[in-house]
Amino acid sequence: MLALQLLVNGLVTGCALGVVAISFGLIYATTKLFHVAHAGVYTLAGYLAWSLVRRGVPDVIALLLVMAASAAVGAAIQYFLYAELGRRRATHLVVLIASLGMLAVMQNTIAAVYTPNILQFPLPWGSRMESLAGVRLTWTQMLTVVVSLGAFGVTMWFSHRTILGKQIRAVASNPFLAEITRLRPQRVYVTVVAIGSAIVALPGVLVPLDLGLQPYGGITPLLTSTIAMIAGGIGSIGGSFVLAVGIAVLQNMSLLFIPGEWSIGITFGIFVIFMLFRPTGLFTGR
Amino acid sequence: MIRAIRIGFAALAVCLATSAFAETIRFGAILPLTGPGGLIGTQQKLGIQFALDQINARGGVRGNPVEVVFEDNQAKPDQSVLSFNKLVDLQHLPMIFTAYSGPSLAMAPLATRKKVLLVNAGAQADALSKASPYLINTLPTIGDEIAVLSRWLVKTGKKRAVILFENSAAGISGRDNYVTHFTAAGGTILAQEPSQFGQTDFRPALLKLADSKPDVMLVSITAAAQQMAQQYKQMGVTFAVAGTTFLQDPALIADPAAEGFLHTQLQSQAPAALAAEFKRKYGAEMEFFVRQYYNASNILFTALDKLLAEKKAVTGENLRDEILRIKRFTGLVPVIFNSNTATVPFDLNVMRGGQDVLLEELKAQ
Repeated sequence: MLALQLLVNGLVTGCALGVVAISFGLIYATTKLFHVAHAGVYTLAGYLAWSLVRRGVPDVIALLLVMAASAAVGAAIQYFLYAELGRRRATHLVVLIASLGMLAVMQNTIAAVYTPNILQFPLPWGSRMESLAGVRLTWTQMLTVVVSLGAFGVTMWFSHRTILGKQIRAVASNPFLAEITRLRPQRVYVTVVAIGSAIVALPGVLVPLDLGLQPYGGITPLLTSTIAMIAGGIGSIGGSFVLAVGIAVLQNMSLLFIPGEWSIGITFGIFVIFMLFRPTGLFTGR
Repeated sequence: MIRAIRIGFAALAVCLATSAFAETIRFGAILPLTGPGGLIGTQQKLGIQFALDQINARGGVRGNPVEVVFEDNQAKPDQSVLSFNKLVDLQHLPMIFTAYSGPSLAMAPLATRKKVLLVNAGAQADALSKASPYLINTLPTIGDEIAVLSRWLVKTGKKRAVILFENSAAGISGRDNYVTHFTAAGGTILAQEPSQFGQTDFRPALLKLADSKPDVMLVSITAAAQQMAQQYKQMGVTFAVAGTTFLQDPALIADPAAEGFLHTQLQSQAPAALAAEFKRKYGAEMEFFVRQYYNASNILFTALDKLLAEKKAVTGENLRDEILRIKRFTGLVPVIFNSNTATVPFDLNVMRGGQDVLLEELKAQ
């Protein structure tokens, strides 16, 4: 029973991480920029939702508003920061440092406005429990799985079946050719960061709904998701999602055999070895 | 005319003399004002500020205003060292308030080398008692509380325990003490699992610990205790939960998920008038860590007053010697310094109906 509960908990955590990974992967594969401030957008989404819910906005409306706001924040970062740096011929390292700075600004602003305390969503339904075949899950955990799988499916469909999705993949594949064919890469970059930011708002709200809000809580999910994105194969939405779930499940299940102190080290150790044999990732291709 | 000039010079001399004696005395405080420890750090800062405001409203210590320079270390040892060097090397401060075991232990060797007094009123790792002769702890180390708590638990039939500990200096110190004292009291430790500082997902660790089917879970975490309690409740388990002063968290006590949690707590009560004054000024309750640092500030001011009365220099060494010489302080918290770590009586409380209810008064043995 312990193994089953750990497996299910790993799947829940992995689904949320998977959505962070596909959103980050979408941005990275297209813009080639290491958008670290994505962790700030993830964190901000949770706090915005908390504010709206506290003011009596219905939960679903709050989530949709937060997705729109996150998209606007992401687009603004791309348009006013990254694109501006690009026009000034800044290297990718400079852009990375600017992104880190942006993350620090966002985290500190959130801490100053909302305090650094761990905040709880005032939604009692979120912690309501259901037991199925001996496995106990909160409503928030179940919602996280459903929404994450939905987000994964929609992102796959969007990327492969819509004109905008195909344009994004074309720009990701060859921005110079895209420029010639009037796809306007800079505009696509703004769009893709906005879409990625809207997607990351989902786990940005659902995870804190379960575990509480912290201003500095976005870094760890982003790091794990980055590893999932690389190990899954850059540009592979399915690969990023599957690897994120795999990492979370492995981390949880490893507790059956090793003490918790070693869990993170051994899990990521396995991935380091894996990358030695498969440096391009498990599912390569665009 | 000459008389007027003489009077003028006399007035000038008085002004100069007064300003020379009324020099502002400056101390430092390196606290976690942001990050996962930000809630506690902010309380600690308010405690110091409240004591400062009171002493300065009374004209300072022997006419000298007192000022504290605050630095944010986010409860990180490396950041604490940077802040320490800044306050000591650049601003030449003789005394620094500190909190959290990791940061305090990181600064202790520097304090010894530079003869700067560190005053800790919040951290409780055992290593703090021997970390530096310049580190004064105004509260006992965690071992004293755990020894008494362990005996009480075993005596009341909770003999099979598991440990949830934070992977930090304070958390590990707590775990080691649980292992030593709970076993010595006749109990058995079945399993132990770590968590990271600031982590809010305790489910994997709680699941593994619950699988051992203990009578009690011994807790040694310094942050996110409310989230731990909620996840414990969601698991629907029945074993008891016990901890130390670390569990003295207002949000945890108010949460129905923590119903029945046991914890030791250092005795400290704010008189109603003082608590009301604090609330009027800061709009908040005078919580445990506010009281601790308010008390520590007043211990410092008492020692400072003695130093100034004896016309001794305000140095870290002199402040430390004076505190140890005075030995017994009867402020908000009655404190006795038989060594650089204070002896303070404590209570065993149970969280019931959103309140922290006294179960038994305990004494370290």
